[in-house]
Formats: sequence, C-alpha cells, structure tokens
Amino acid sequence: MSLNKSALALAGVLLATTALGTGAAFAQAKVAIVTPYMAQPGTQFYVEAFQGVADENDWDVNVIDTAGDVAAVISRIEDLVVQNVDAIVINVDPTQVTAGLQAAKDTGIPVFGMDAGADPLLVTNVTSNGYAMAAETATYVADRIKGEGNVVMFVFDAFPPVQVRGVIADAVFGNYPDIKVLDRVTPDVSDGGIADSRAKMEAILAANPEPGSIKAVWAAWDQPALGALQAIEDAGRSGEGIVITGIDANPQAREAIAAGGNFEASVAQDFSGIGAATADAVARVLAGEEILQSVTYVPTKLITAANANE
Amino acid sequence: MAPPTPLLAATSVTKAYAGVPALSGVNLVVAPGEIHALMGENGAGKSTLIKILAGVVAPDTADIAIDGVPVKIDSTKAAYRLGLRFIHQEFNVVPTLSVAENIFMGRRYPRRAGFFVDWAALNREAQRALDRLGIDHIDPRQNLGMLGLGDQMLVRISAALLDDAKLYVMDEPTAALSADESQRLFRVLREIRASGSSVLYVSHRLDEVMALCDKATVLRDGRSIDSGVLSTITHDDLVALMIGRKVEEAYPKAAAAPRDTTVFSANGLVTPGIKPISFSLREGEVLGVAGLSGSGQGELIRAIFGDAKLTGGSMRLGTAPYAPSSPAAAWQSGVAYVPRERRAQGLVMRRPIYENITLAHLRRQSRAGTWLTPAREKRFAADLGATVRLKAVGPAQDVIELSGGNQQKIVFAKAVAGNPRLLLLEEPTRGVDVGAKFDIYSIIRERTAKGAAVILVSSDLPELIGISDRIAVMRGGEITTIVEAAGLREDDLVNLCYGRPTGMVA
Amino acid sequence: MQHFIRRYGTLIGFVAILVFFSVMLPGTFPTARNWLNITQQTSMLMVVAAGMTVVMVMGDFDLSVGSAASLAGIVAAMMMSAGQPVWAAVSVALIAGLLGGAFNGAMVSLVGILPFIATLATMTMFSGLAFVVSGGKTISGRAIPEEFGNFARSGIPLGEWGGVAVSLPNLSIIAIAVIVAVWVLLEQTTFGRRLYAIGGNMEAAHLSGIAVKRLRLIAFSLTGLAAAGAGLMYASRVASANPVQGSGLMLNAIAAVFLGTTMSRHGEPRILATVVGVIVLGVLDNGLTQMSVDSYIRQVLVGALILIAVGAGSIGQKRP
Repeated sequence: MSLNKSALALAGVLLATTALGTGAAFAQAKVAIVTPYMAQPGTQFYVEAFQGVADENDWDVNVIDTAGDVAAVISRIEDLVVQNVDAIVINVDPTQVTAGLQAAKDTGIPVFGMDAGADPLLVTNVTSNGYAMAAETATYVADRIKGEGNVVMFVFDAFPPVQVRGVIADAVFGNYPDIKVLDRVTPDVSDGGIADSRAKMEAILAANPEPGSIKAVWAAWDQPALGALQAIEDAGRSGEGIVITGIDANPQAREAIAAGGNFEASVAQDFSGIGAATADAVARVLAGEEILQSVTYVPTKLITAANANE
Repeated sequence: MAPPTPLLAATSVTKAYAGVPALSGVNLVVAPGEIHALMGENGAGKSTLIKILAGVVAPDTADIAIDGVPVKIDSTKAAYRLGLRFIHQEFNVVPTLSVAENIFMGRRYPRRAGFFVDWAALNREAQRALDRLGIDHIDPRQNLGMLGLGDQMLVRISAALLDDAKLYVMDEPTAALSADESQRLFRVLREIRASGSSVLYVSHRLDEVMALCDKATVLRDGRSIDSGVLSTITHDDLVALMIGRKVEEAYPKAAAAPRDTTVFSANGLVTPGIKPISFSLREGEVLGVAGLSGSGQGELIRAIFGDAKLTGGSMRLGTAPYAPSSPAAAWQSGVAYVPRERRAQGLVMRRPIYENITLAHLRRQSRAGTWLTPAREKRFAADLGATVRLKAVGPAQDVIELSGGNQQKIVFAKAVAGNPRLLLLEEPTRGVDVGAKFDIYSIIRERTAKGAAVILVSSDLPELIGISDRIAVMRGGEITTIVEAAGLREDDLVNLCYGRPTGMVA
Repeated sequence: MQHFIRRYGTLIGFVAILVFFSVMLPGTFPTARNWLNITQQTSMLMVVAAGMTVVMVMGDFDLSVGSAASLAGIVAAMMMSAGQPVWAAVSVALIAGLLGGAFNGAMVSLVGILPFIATLATMTMFSGLAFVVSGGKTISGRAIPEEFGNFARSGIPLGEWGGVAVSLPNLSIIAIAVIVAVWVLLEQTTFGRRLYAIGGNMEAAHLSGIAVKRLRLIAFSLTGLAAAGAGLMYASRVASANPVQGSGLMLNAIAAVFLGTTMSRHGEPRILATVVGVIVLGVLDNGLTQMSVDSYIRQVLVGALILIAVGAGSIGQKRP
C-alpha cells in the first residue's frame, strides 16, 4: 500500500526534477561543468560568470558538484561522455582525472580547464597566474620589512593552485639572507580555515612573546591571514607593526585591508574573468576555432588600503 | 435465574500467523466479580489471546463484547478506554525514574498552576497506590532501579490498580514475588473481586490458581478445551486438561543409580565470587545446587564453564586435569551449559533452529571445520529435535517463532548435541509449561542413563528434590552441606538454605 | 502484503529506478558501455561496503574506513614516489590497512570501547597520519608510476559494441572478486556463521563457545584491509593520492549496507543485498547526471530513498 504511494512520490520528484533540469531543446549546445570544489567562494564566481556567457549563447549548462570527491569527477565525466555532451569544463587537477579526460578525448568531446592546471588532454586551462600572485604579496612583505626578520607562512600544499603560491613565497623569502621563515603552517581547512589559523597563530605568538620577534605573516590565501589578524589583535600586539598579506582579496579581507590594520595587502583574482574567459574559449571551439595556448591567463591585481574599497 | 451479563465475552477468536493457526475459535467468558484463570501450556495461545484483548494484535475473527455491548479493540488506547488493564511478565519500567514517576507513567502528573509538576502530590498519590497493596517498605521517591525485581513488579501492579477498571489481566504476576508479596497481591485481587471488577489471571503455578481463582478456561493447541468452576476439579485433572494426558508422575524416574566412576571433581575452587569449593560427581549422577539467590551458584557454574578466572583450586574431568580457559574450551572438553536466561544467553532468536543447535558444534558440523554444510546440519538438528520432543515446522524455522518451552528444548538440543560428559543446567524449566517440563526432565534422565553427570542449579525446590541424587546447599559463596535428595522435605531444604537447623519451624 | 513490502520493497524500488532511467534515457542508460561504467564507478564503494558488511553483520560499525582508504593511498603513493616498486607499495599499503583494522578491532574487542567511539577516534587518527605522511600534499603527476595509474584505466577487452571497443575494467574485476570472497566468507564458512551469531546475540555466542573477541578482531582487520584496497583503487583511478580523498566512502558504504538490510529477513546485513545497495547509489549518480539533475537534488533523493526503504521495511513492525 504505502510502497505504492512512496514509489509514486519518488517518481513524481524524479519527474519534476527532470523537467526542471533538462528542459532541453535540440538546437542547444549541451555544456557541463564538473567540480569537486563548488563550496569554495571562488568557484561560485567562475560558475556564475560562465553561466552569464552561456545564457547569451543559449547553452544548456549542467553544473555537477561531487563535493570533494575526485574519483566521482571521473565518473561524472564518463556519464557525460555517454550522454554525448558538446563540451565539458572541469575545475580540478587534470592529472587526477586522466581516465575521464581520455574517455572524452576518445569520443571527441572537448574538455576545458577552469583554473584547473595545464594538461595535454585539455583544450586550454584558463587561470590566474598563481606564481605571479604569490610573487606580488611575497615581495610586498619582503619590501615592507626591509628584507629582514621572522616571517610566518600559512600554506596548503594539498591543493595544487595554492601549493604553487607557497613555492614562490619560499623562493622570495629564501632569496633574502636576513629573512627567517619562523613557521610554515598548514591549517585545518574543514571549517573554512579562519578558526584553526587563528589557533595556530595564537600558539606561535605565545611562543614568540618579544615585540618584533615576528615581522610578518604571509598567507597563501585570505582565510589564514584573517585568522592571524584576529590572533594578533586579541593578543594586544597589533601595535608591533606585524605585516599580514593574503591572496584572493575576498570581501572580508578587503574590509580588513581598508580598515588600515595589520592586514595590509592581498591579490584579487578575477574569478568572474576566468569564468567568462573559459566560456569564451568554449564558444570559440564550438564555433570551429582551434586554440593553441595550453594556458590562458587572466590578469590579477594587488589590493592595498588604497584600492580595497573599489 | 438467567445468568448475569458477562463482563467480557470473547467468542470465536481466530488468529493465524503466516498460515499457522495460533487460535482457532477460542471462547473466553469472564463474569463480573470473578477471578478467572487462563490456563494452558506455553504455545497454547494464551499470550496471543491476551495480546488481542490488549489491542496489540489484530485477530482474524473475533466477537468481543464488554457488558453485553459489542466492541472492537483495535489499539492499546481502545483497550484502556474500555476499562481493561494489563500487567505483563515483561514490564515496561524506567529504572532511572522514581517509583512515583513510574507509577504515573502514561498518566497526567498532578500539576500546580496548571504547568508545574506537583511533586508532593505525585509522591502522595503514589504512596496511596502502594498502601493499597500494603507496601510500606518502598519510598515513592526512590529510583525504581534501586529496587529488587519483586519490588519493581509490586510497583507496576500498584500502578495498574491506580484507577478503577473493569478487568485486570495479569500475566504471571507472582513470577518475581516472594510468598509474602504474593499473599498481599492476592488480598488485593480478592478486594477487586468484592468491588465487582474482575481479574483474568495467567499463571503456571497451579497451587496458586487453585487457591485464588473461581473459574478457569483451559487452552490447548489454540482451542479452548474446557471452562469450568475450579472448586469442582482436582489439581491433577487440571494438569491433564492442559497437557492432554494423565499425569502419572511429575518427575520421571532414573533408569539406574549413579555408577561409581567419577566424572568430575572440583578441588578447592576459588574465584572472586566463591570460597573454596570441593565436590565430585559420579557417572549418571545429578547434583542439585540449592541456595538463596546470589549465594554463588552462578559463579560456581561460570568457574566450571571456563567463563571466570580461577584464583585457586583445580578440577578434573574424567581422569585428566580440566582447566578451561574459555567456554569454547569447556565445550571442547565435553562440558555443556544451559544458561539461566534462554533469550539473553541461550539463543540467537532471529536465526533458524538448526543454526542455534550447531552453534556450539560447528567444528564437527562442517567440512574441515571451515565449510558450512547446511543440509547435514538440518538433518542433525531434525534428529536432535526429535529426541528432545521439539514441536516446530522444521529445522529451518526461526527460533523467535517458537513458544518458550520449545525454545528451551533447542537450548537443550544444543547442549546435548555433543554427547557431553558434564551437563551444567541453570533454572532449566523457568517459564516452561508442565508438558515441556516433563520433556526436559526426560532429557536429563536420558543423559544420565548414558553416563553423563549433571549439575542442576534451580530455585524450584520440588524440582531439585525430584530430579537430583544429592543436593549441595550454597550460602555466601560456599557449599555448606551436601545432602541426599531422597526423602528430603522442602521445609528442610528451605531451612538449609537459610542456614537454620532442619526440623525447626520457619 | 505488508510482509511482501517489507521483504521485497527495496528490490521493487530498485527495478522501478532501472525501468525509469531506461525509459527516460533509452539511448544511453541501458547500454553495455554505461553498465560497465557503472561497475567501474561503484567499484571502490563496492569494496569498502563489502568490508563494512563484515563488521555490520556483528552489529558493529567502522567509521574509519574512509580515512583508512586515504591513508593506504598516501602510503602507496609516498613509497612509489620514493622509487619503490609498485608491488611493494601496494603490499605495504594493504598491510597498513590490515593493521589499522586490527587496531580498531583491538580497541573494540580487547579494550571494550564502543565501535562508534573507537572508530570515530581512529578515523581522526588515520586522517591525521595521512596528512603527516604526505605533509598535506597531493601526490600526483610524475611521482606516480604510469603503470599504477594505467591499471585503473585498463581491463579485459570484451569486443566491439556499436563501433566502440568495450572492456571489463580492472577495477570492476577487483570489486567482483572481493564480493565473491566476502560472499564465500559470510555465507559458506563457519566464520561467517559465527559472525552472524555474534550479531544476533553476543552473550549467547560467547556461551556457545565462540571466540567473540578474536572474531571481532579478525572482522575489523578484514574491514581495514578492504578499505585499504579501495583506497589503492581510488589512487589508481585518479593516478594520485591526497590525504582526504577517501573520506566520502564511509557514509556511502554505511548507507549501502543499510539499504541492503531492508532486503533481508530480519534486517541483518547480507553481502548480495549490500551489492544491490551500492548499485542503487551508483545508478542514481549515473542516471541523474545523464538527466542533468542538479547534484544537490541527487543528495536529497538518495537520503529520501534510504528513509523510504527503511520506512517500508518497518511497516507493521509494531513495538511494544
């Protein structure tokens, strides 16, 4: 009895979602975005900008979030290949999803990287220049502390785009004989990164109580920078002139930079620009054009108190 | 004179589970102001009938009338509304709440200002409910879990008596009560009868039923066999009605006296629960173990079964030293065990009969000790089932579907499956009906005839005297005396248990 | 009728889902290629769920399987990037899983900690270890030998299907082998019979001479081994290892086993029922993706499906 009812209800939900989801017309190009990182704010900007361009071109866009599961990205690419979509956009390290990319290539479906990483199986990868961004903030720190003193680094090497930032910062600081990297911290990011970074920073401050014993905090993205800022302010050490920099220039970071405290600089990636540029690349390929550049860079911008409110 | 309208008339009650009839056209008529016994062996259909009256089980067909008005009992609420109250064997209580809270469970607590619980009034009302049973040793503010099982049952009964109802259904209410407590309960039941309400009384204790009840309805194999006034019937007739045959003897006679070969001996056994214990057992001998509950009987059995670490002493089985490190080792040495609680300790209820029987013997009942051979197991189980007089559809039937007596026979089948040299029994006939009891005694006799020795721990004194060759009396973790069972009187055994000289009036 | 629904409701629902997708996606869903994809996509979950079934038969849980899978992947990847041969890396990773599982088993059976708490703790420990061993890095690219990544991308050729070469993927073959092994273990051996007895009544099993402690230890070890195997399969499929990549497996494995329990007589886990549970989850992913259904709606549907299945299984089971 109630099975029939529940089966009906399930079928109803399925049908309703299908109707919402597909609404497919035959002429529309079918484009899918597959990402394990939808929960991250940057990804949402890419996807929104991408969809903006897609709407102009009247594409049918299917956004698939595998919630952190990389193997599921391969599975979903396989499903899309079976479904024979016109183009696939990924937002994950391509070397980890080679099986899926190969399946797409075998069927002749073009795959694009949206801040993914360069790979021969991708038509092109559209991204900010992570090396350049890290160089901007690392040199900003080095210049502000006049090439000497202790620096705390917040890094996250598990995520390749963030990992390259750390590499550059290592190189910049390593090039100054009087700069010492006091600690290279990988915060727990499961709660967003602020809380754990703050805790880690509090511990470092406690271990280095002398004013001037910490000159700067370089963070590979904004959340640890914000956590460090909170820790420094709470410890009553904001007067020591500790310089903090982040990368990405998220709204909270911009606010902190605009306020004129220890958090002095960040670099704004043009997420929307990346999303739009990816969609442009898709449009060009669907129109029959060939793209030669394996990486397409979208410009970034250093954010300081001077332009934080823009 | 026309008979008065019955308080409860349930006629043509039929219920089948998965095609197997549990009740076929049962009739039960209870007059106002009577204590009516519902009798029958386990599996006769008593509990199904009670569950139907309680609105827990829906009958296939039934005409039920209360005070001559046809009613439909389709939920426990409906049963409550109709004035029926149920006191079950397995009672629902919350040990962490107070006695008073348990008494008022499911009822509206007395309130102050319409919102706050009036604890003083609650405790007062609870005390009044207890007073009715003449209970003055239980404080309503105490946590229920602090009380003994008997006291918990008394609390439960007083809760059911809190508001006046038409019919009280009591399923084995005295199982956990002392003689004094039982007497107090009977006094209240008689008061209830005098006030015009009725009691439907289910019990295995025939003496109790004969003394207390006015009428009895006997169920057998899902049919109502007879209904009659108890004063016109003898104890033996009643048993004969229930089991469908004459009772010649409650306890089957041993085929032969114990032989002189020693099967088992304990020498100065010590565990945290028992003081040095020594005794020995001959082939074919049954050693009864008597004592007040908690005198170390369970600890002794666990020590022999390898389930407790010995801190001193030694054992011999046959001619070899015996020092089991675990129950597994005990089974392998030929020691088998029928535990006290068959549901909690003896059986995997939701598995088939054959799996339960072979569970302790899988090493032999498999290929190379590894590969299951279900067909062989089923044949083995079916053969054993026949020897223990098991009534079941087949060896693949789930244990949970069987009556208590048949479940206990499966525990016995598992115990005797490996031809044990020593059989350890704890309360082997607890909650088992008269017919199954006799079958279980016969199984014990069959084993002793084959040379096994038996240790029988029981709180059923007639059983101990009837089955044992000798009886060891335990007090405070040690055996105070071992007496010959033949000719022993119950009173003497009680006195021994209390540590009083025999012959003295209790 | 009620009994019928209790017993076969989930199976009927499963068939209904297959029919539904076949009708909606006639050209792509009921094809051999798609089904081979599904077997490959579900292979890792299949192996973890098979291992989970072993402990759940005893009424226990293992929450650490996801972390154990991640750890095994990391261990193998670190060894391979250090130049060790693939076979050595794989063996050490599997042994690590076995030992991790044995540690769980020891905590549960010897120390006597509740499985939920013990494996919650080891879940965190294994995850932390994976971060420590890898330094928090994703190990990918040239650090992973090509043959390791190629394993997941190859299989046994089955011939041509509609002009496309199809093959039975290696990962699917492993999953099938694990299923068969667990089936034999649970359904055909005294070991399995004893586990079911422990799950039914631990005290009765102990008093019937079953070495409950030892069997729980072994069962948890096997679950750890299976988790490590799945972690290696995952690492091979993504040709990389990062310290969190297996974390999604645990909840899905428990969900699959629970879905399966709705199909057995008394709600006990059965390996073949677990297989159906895994396939239900895999088919929903596969079919809904092809129908362009939002991935968040999919999560809602999967949750609702478990509730419906378990709910239908409890119809008419009144509790006193």
